[in-house]
Amino acid sequence: MAYLLNRLLSVLLTLFLISVITFAVTNILPGDVAMMIMGTQSNPEALAGLRESLGLNDPLIVQYGRWIGGLLTGDWGRSLVFKEAIGPLIAQKAVASGVIVVMSMAIALACAIPLGVWAAINRDRWQDSTASTSALIGVSLPDFFWGIMLILLFARYLGWFPSSGFVHPADDFLGAIRHAFLPSLALGLGLMAHLTRMTRSTMIGILGQEFIRVARAKGLAEREVVWSYGLRNAIGPVITVAGLQVGYLFGSIIVVESLFNYTGMGWLTYQALLNRDIPLIQSTVFVIAAVVMLTNLFVDLLYMLIDPRIRMA
Amino acid sequence: MRRFLSGKGLVGAAIVLIMLLIALLAPLFIPDTFATQMDMRARLSGPTLNHIFGTDQLGRDLFYRVVLGAQTSVMIAGAAVLMSIVIGLPLGIISGYFGGVIDNVLMRLVDTLLSFPALLLALTISAVLGPNLTNTIIAIGIAFTPFLARIIRGEALRVAQMPYVEAARAAGTTDLQMIIRHILPNIMPAIIVQGTISLAFAILAEAGLSFLGLGTQPPDASWGLMIQASRDYLDIAPWTALVPGAAVAITVLGLNMFGDVLRDVLDPRTDP
Amino acid sequence: MTPIVNIEKLRVTFGKGTDAAVKDVSFAINPGETVCVVGESGSGKSVTSLSLMRLVEFGGGTIVDGRMTLQRDDGPIDLAQADGDTMRDIRGDEIGMIFQEPMTSLNPVFTIERQLTDGLRVHRGMTGQAARERALELLRDVRIPEPERRLKQYPHELSGGMRQRVVIAIAMACEPRLLIADEPTTALDVTIQAEILALINRLKRETGMAVMFITHDMAVVAQIADRVVVMYRGDVVEEGPVADIFANPKADYTKALLAAVPRLGEMRGKAAPEPMRLVGDTSAPKPLTPQDHPEPLLEVKNLTTYFPVKGGPLRRHVANVHAVEDVTFTLNKGETLSLVGESGCGKSSCGRSILRLVEPTSGSVIVDRKDILAANHRDLRLLRRQMQMIFQDPFASLNPYMRLSAQVAEPLRNFGLASGSALQDRVAGLFDRVELPRDYMRRFPHELSGGQRQRIAIARALAVSPKLIIADEAVSALDVSVQAQVLNLMMELQADLGLSFLFISHDMAVVERISHHVAVMYLGRIVEIGPRAAIFENPQHSYTKSLMQAVPIADPAKRKLEGDLNFRPIPSPMHPLSYAPAQSLYDTVAAGHLVLRDIERTTDANP
Repeated sequence: MAYLLNRLLSVLLTLFLISVITFAVTNILPGDVAMMIMGTQSNPEALAGLRESLGLNDPLIVQYGRWIGGLLTGDWGRSLVFKEAIGPLIAQKAVASGVIVVMSMAIALACAIPLGVWAAINRDRWQDSTASTSALIGVSLPDFFWGIMLILLFARYLGWFPSSGFVHPADDFLGAIRHAFLPSLALGLGLMAHLTRMTRSTMIGILGQEFIRVARAKGLAEREVVWSYGLRNAIGPVITVAGLQVGYLFGSIIVVESLFNYTGMGWLTYQALLNRDIPLIQSTVFVIAAVVMLTNLFVDLLYMLIDPRIRMA
Repeated sequence: MRRFLSGKGLVGAAIVLIMLLIALLAPLFIPDTFATQMDMRARLSGPTLNHIFGTDQLGRDLFYRVVLGAQTSVMIAGAAVLMSIVIGLPLGIISGYFGGVIDNVLMRLVDTLLSFPALLLALTISAVLGPNLTNTIIAIGIAFTPFLARIIRGEALRVAQMPYVEAARAAGTTDLQMIIRHILPNIMPAIIVQGTISLAFAILAEAGLSFLGLGTQPPDASWGLMIQASRDYLDIAPWTALVPGAAVAITVLGLNMFGDVLRDVLDPRTDP
Repeated sequence: MTPIVNIEKLRVTFGKGTDAAVKDVSFAINPGETVCVVGESGSGKSVTSLSLMRLVEFGGGTIVDGRMTLQRDDGPIDLAQADGDTMRDIRGDEIGMIFQEPMTSLNPVFTIERQLTDGLRVHRGMTGQAARERALELLRDVRIPEPERRLKQYPHELSGGMRQRVVIAIAMACEPRLLIADEPTTALDVTIQAEILALINRLKRETGMAVMFITHDMAVVAQIADRVVVMYRGDVVEEGPVADIFANPKADYTKALLAAVPRLGEMRGKAAPEPMRLVGDTSAPKPLTPQDHPEPLLEVKNLTTYFPVKGGPLRRHVANVHAVEDVTFTLNKGETLSLVGESGCGKSSCGRSILRLVEPTSGSVIVDRKDILAANHRDLRLLRRQMQMIFQDPFASLNPYMRLSAQVAEPLRNFGLASGSALQDRVAGLFDRVELPRDYMRRFPHELSGGQRQRIAIARALAVSPKLIIADEAVSALDVSVQAQVLNLMMELQADLGLSFLFISHDMAVVERISHHVAVMYLGRIVEIGPRAAIFENPQHSYTKSLMQAVPIADPAKRKLEGDLNFRPIPSPMHPLSYAPAQSLYDTVAAGHLVLRDIERTTDANP
């Protein structure tokens, strides 16, 4: 219990630091929101008036306080590009990204774990070379390159899946999956390659441990030694790395969502960055960093359930 | 040494070497005009004898564009990684070697920064500073720094606890001498391995940034920029994307292969 | 009598083009007998045992020749030719095996029950309640307290000794006719080792199983073997009943192995330390001359070192590990004081506190009339010239990226004691001093053996001509013959240079051989301190007595029985910030022989 309380305090501290960094990064920008709204050719007096009314002449610390106060009370401001309230905008786009992040992670884990174990138990044989080489190529291809190849193959030539757009799962569940499939695959292939490498090396480490020898000395079948004794120990580290990769995924969705014209958080962030929509940049960057941090917290807690050594500590 | 000369290491080293040579030498021997000359009769042409990799929407030769674009991509990645090492090395060593309050504060900050996806951080910095070649380097360099600082800190901490460091301390070695004689040489293998792998990631990041239009800007030519330009012609001229995409993939693959083997040879403790 | 296992001309290789790890090994194990396979590292003893289980293939080894005949109920079978299914039937059923590292021998994510009952399920088809009852019975057999509770626990909740008992219970689950034990006590403290050895002896007696016991330690052999097989570089060099091997060894290698082993009690009645016996040296060892008027060099008073335990998001200080608790002793010039005790007793922390490699919490350390703990950063650096340290792990105590000459020269350069050709001469002289060839100067650490590295560590420590050398388990990682050579070098240096050693060790027999004074540590405190003879011949504190009781003696006539051993587990040295430890108060038994007054009761009252 004390542990959870400590973790909670730590999370709040990190969230605070995330907000400070987000605010700091977006405020080194030359020019400000007033200029964005009125344009660079605008009347200086009107500009000054707008600045005053937006509070841009206040000290940075006051501006930060106003921003964070808004975040906490649910007033996230208005987007300059979309002319909409930012809160609902993000809530809506987050669903779209949630779908592809979960799908890509599921695809990656479902393939990477068996593949990595298979490579590890056949270490230095052809099975291992095949899996390892494919995985190495996988991590070397940029996500958008995967995306382009998938569009060409599945959308243009085969016509099996749509190459762009987003459908809300509440409106049309199957349609949502169909639209999310290619972006998820584009995200998932690189991830799968990475997790395969990770699973392989973790399993090789575990299969060299003494307790594996003890398990064999008991007369257990090799199947049980590998898939029960071995994998049960590898799953913690693999899930931890998968959790860390969520950070990588949230970077990749910016590229992949804009490639597939899939209107999620990545696409929204990209529009914000491209148009220098400062209030929107601040909110999206903050939300993404917070989600990444909370995912890692969740993975840590999950690890506690998996590993009795940490459960007790 | 034998493992170093294994197939994987040799292929990886060869790719890295060839790409480096292309990046360094191509601009000296191939005039710029080869890549900018527009062949209006052969726009979006597939591979032919005249244009072995085909041409883009303006009829420019893709072979020369890829070869000359290597310089930009490799240079940006190299400079960004160098920058992250130059900033991350002192931070990591101070944190890992001296520990204490400085370590707590620095690592709390680094952990927070690691919550920001590197690509998002790079994109935001680039968008804020205004996208161009220099700012792309700065953006990627800053985005990679927390990661390198963390790795270097871990290594420095590990080495600082070795008995030979304690023995040297008992033998009157000062902190500065300790860092130069004992810490640096022993964390160098990890830095070289991590640097190689970061280089691969930096090439991917540059391509990503340029692909989104928030990295290198025309008239500078980089691989990511070429892929971006190809997006509208995917249906009729897929090679305009495949050629620069393959260049990125092969370079990154070479770096990763080289990095894997380097790790096995230099730094057998860490996992890939 | 038909042997249970008959190994004939076994040959095992690892990869093509490498020397065979086991070259031509033949020996037999009879029912109900304990055969010790003994040898130093690289002798092929473990490979032989793994081959018998056919586990060697999982480590990349290949049995290229030979037969291993196992007697089964339905007749003999050659294990070298047996297929995978047959081997799985035999493993854990007819042959059980236990390994060296109890900390890693159990799967950390499964309960003890699951791991105990696996074998029963596979070989006996036992599950559920029946399996649980058998598991409880097994835990009682290996004398684990509260067996019902243990079944639900995970390995990390048990101490090292408990885990090794569980591993033995796992191996015993299906009542094997042969138990293979591969260095099962090497990683354990001496009291736990004694208990485990006695346990294996009793189980063997009660069940009538045969035991194949792999070890490098002749003292352990004396405690447990019926017959001994001595291995050296992949070959059997000698075989025979344990009494014969110890009384009348035939092979030169066996003689050397036995000569180098110090035997607890053999220094009885001797006034001064003596060098170790070495191979081929038949002359009587020359004792070191005792000091007539000892002058104190190192005076440690009320030394206390706590390590803070941090917790919470702000990493607040929540508790202390009381590593060193109110320790007082004096070390004289030209003498050796040994700090002995089991792992976690604070002996290493005490040595490091004296050098201020860790910052002590309070107390004073006077070296040659200067207070180390009161010195500022700059003075401390100069004071450290008086005292140097040698560490346990010869592989970690040298910088792998620095030439050996540079490592030995480093202290000289740091203090500006020599430069240029004078520096080179000094370094060369130091290499001579530790008996290493001068052409080693240009080499790197990885080109040296463990013993040679420890010599470099000694040369580096000697460079600044210190008065005191703190040797922290400096010979523990070395094979016994190399250990004897390094110890003799240290004693020779003491005689020639008048060095004082603070010798930190867990090995009572070595300590008896080389010390002038001995301090026994337990839970951060010195429980008994005095002249060597007083401690070894007239131990007063209950902990000192049990430590002596536990040490295996390299003499098959002096075996210990399980009933003789009753050791209490060591409590945790971690205490909340509010904990106020009692002062260390001593009773004087004789001049210089002090015994800690019983404060255990007050210690226990504040958990």
